Amino acid sequence: MLLLGNEAIARGALEAGVAVATTYPGTPASEIGDALARVAKDAGIYFEYSANEMVATEIAIGAAASGVRALVSMKHVGVNVAADALMTFAYTGTRGGFVLVTADDPSCHSSQNEQDNRYYALLGGIPLLEPSSPQECYEMTKEAFELSERLELPVILRTTTRISHVRGPVVVGRIVQGLKRKEFIKDPKRFVTVPAVARARHLVLLERLREAERLSEESHLNKVQRIGTGARIGVITSSAAFNYVADAAKALGVPVDVLKLGFPHPLPNRLVIDFLRSHDRVAVVEELEPILETSVRAVAQHESINTKIVGKADGILPRAYEFDQAIVASGLVRAFGLRGDVAKEAVIDLQNLPVRPPVLCAGCPHSAVYFAVNKATNRKAIFASDIGCYTLGVAAPYNAADLLVCMGSSVGTAGGLAKVNDLPVIAFIGDSTFFHAGIPGLINGVHNGHKFLLMILDNRTTAMTGHQPHPASDTGPSCCNITSVSIEEVVKGCGVRWLRVVDPYDIKTTTETVKEALRQEGVSVIIARRECALIAERDEKGAILKKHEIDQEVCKKCRTCVEKFQCPAISSTNKVQTIDEALCAGCGVCAQVCPHKAIKETR
Amino acid sequence: MADIYLVGVGGQGIITASRVVGDAAILGGENVLLSETHGMAQRGGSVVCTARIGDVQSPLIPDGCADLILSFELLETLRSLCKANRGTVVITSTEKIVPLSVSTQKLKYPTAEEVKIEVERIAKRFFPIDARKLAEEAAVPMSSNIVMVGALAGTGISGLERRHFEKAIEMNIPRWLPENLDAFARGFEATSRWSQT
Repeated sequence: MLLLGNEAIARGALEAGVAVATTYPGTPASEIGDALARVAKDAGIYFEYSANEMVATEIAIGAAASGVRALVSMKHVGVNVAADALMTFAYTGTRGGFVLVTADDPSCHSSQNEQDNRYYALLGGIPLLEPSSPQECYEMTKEAFELSERLELPVILRTTTRISHVRGPVVVGRIVQGLKRKEFIKDPKRFVTVPAVARARHLVLLERLREAERLSEESHLNKVQRIGTGARIGVITSSAAFNYVADAAKALGVPVDVLKLGFPHPLPNRLVIDFLRSHDRVAVVEELEPILETSVRAVAQHESINTKIVGKADGILPRAYEFDQAIVASGLVRAFGLRGDVAKEAVIDLQNLPVRPPVLCAGCPHSAVYFAVNKATNRKAIFASDIGCYTLGVAAPYNAADLLVCMGSSVGTAGGLAKVNDLPVIAFIGDSTFFHAGIPGLINGVHNGHKFLLMILDNRTTAMTGHQPHPASDTGPSCCNITSVSIEEVVKGCGVRWLRVVDPYDIKTTTETVKEALRQEGVSVIIARRECALIAERDEKGAILKKHEIDQEVCKKCRTCVEKFQCPAISSTNKVQTIDEALCAGCGVCAQVCPHKAIKETR
Repeated sequence: MADIYLVGVGGQGIITASRVVGDAAILGGENVLLSETHGMAQRGGSVVCTARIGDVQSPLIPDGCADLILSFELLETLRSLCKANRGTVVITSTEKIVPLSVSTQKLKYPTAEEVKIEVERIAKRFFPIDARKLAEEAAVPMSSNIVMVGALAGTGISGLERRHFEKAIEMNIPRWLPENLDAFARGFEATSRWSQT
């Protein structure tokens, strides 16, 4: 069957008899959890959307330490949140198979950085598997569980966008019912990492890593593949880069021996030594950081091998952004002094084409919030933003984001900004992000007497990653016994004294409430609550909303509706503004935005 | 072997169309790899999908290497031409979705004639198709993406048989099957008729 890399991972986990699976959604990892959520009840597994990646990892640790198999999946930056748990879990080790999937995002297609999470495997002393295709995603997930139990260590399965979001043929097997419950056998000298235990467990980890290296040497996941015959040149590679190497070598018509590392950490030293010794020149081809390259060079130095090793240190391949076949082909040409013209001349000038950046949807409540905030502050405020659809407010006409680093950073940075700036500070955070990482910042702001306005943009879902539920949702995967957690109660519980809830579609009230909030001392909070327009449309709740049109006889062509407000349904061509009825979501915000009352409900 | 590049705007059903192509390839006994790039937006941003049919391992199509470009939107057709060469066939829906940058930055949206001139300068064949109209004639206005799949199939470039596409549509969109097959047929005829001339 044709499966997405992420779906293949979910399938592999089911066939491995996983008992507990958790995630916090994040592109490009989200479909692993979404696939498991759909089948959890039928498959008899427990799956949950956790509040954040740290909690997701801890749930999986609790299950795996008891002796059942557990899977936790997240995007690359999610591992930063989970890292505190993960680093020490490597010390205690696991009883049941524990697999952490990290989906990295070279080129930052939908992320705030392109960090290379293979470093986490090195940092924590955690075995690492890297699939190159959907079939390998499926197979390596199963292998990862076996490996984890054999070594009693957590295992990291690392994909990238071009692995997770590639759909290809996968031959699958039978779904197995694994052990679903297991009594936790107490062993505090292993599982309670007080310093005395931690010191002893570090030595255990190092011993297990030596065993892991032995398994890596023997693993069929690390193998030499010959492209053509009689190659004198070799390439060491892994993950998506392997695919580009294979296609580029074929396109160049050059025989190449490829050492493909599906189990690159711990590095199979003997295999690398043999490969280096049997080739005159070896290129290391990997996306992002020169991790394999540095290790391979270290091995060569240690063994006094003279084979010429080329890679990022020689500038043949870039250290930023994802590769493609052309980039790798040009790298191989330079690495081996090959003949081959791989550079295509630009056939079209893309510079002058109108850009189509991601935008907030028609009817998006965030649009209404940003319009109201700009009106209330006359744009004289500093905006601390956060991770979600609402980050798109950074663009014109709202310019409603001045500082953003990570999940939850809006609240924390707002406190710092307010301490050293005279302009009022407004933090924007989504409902799901608030639960994920906003709460400690809010408590800190209240406790330490910071002065800022926090706007919780509550669209009742985790929209950007595909509408997953979050702790305030009243539904969730059918295997979960869901209780909705009230955002208001949490905010009050954090000690906030001034709290208002507004409907962002009501521009006047929202604007006045923002003005009032900015007159308060300390931390004030506004919850702007309106369901995501796409959910409203899907559930046909939008049927009660009326489509709008512009009365061209009343319209003064002042362009307020396109210059101060942004809606994909409203366009301006030949100085005439019109609403595309097919795109209009019927929110009616534009009618409140228009200073001349030219926008009315369609009759 | 065929490298097919699908482009358009989020919300047009491009990913579904690429899945139909992928399943048709599997039904036809071919290896296939699909990829999708859709960035941050749920709706309204540029969407790019690739379908590589045949003996390939990497999913992305290098610049200048697409055999067929299937564009769901007029402006995105121009943006896709970086993947075209002298042998490329370009099928484009004549649908226009004006990006906000045209309104806010006062940039110019290209005319259909400008797109035609540019495509014919670079590529081999240009097939403009009123996919929305054909979908409405098939009584499923939502299925212009299936009209486009039909147009892709009609060129014969994929090397796959019509019945494999039809079965793939059934697998991916079981609802409104007769109407979707009608939409597919209308797209198919649009290019197969031209292909023969």
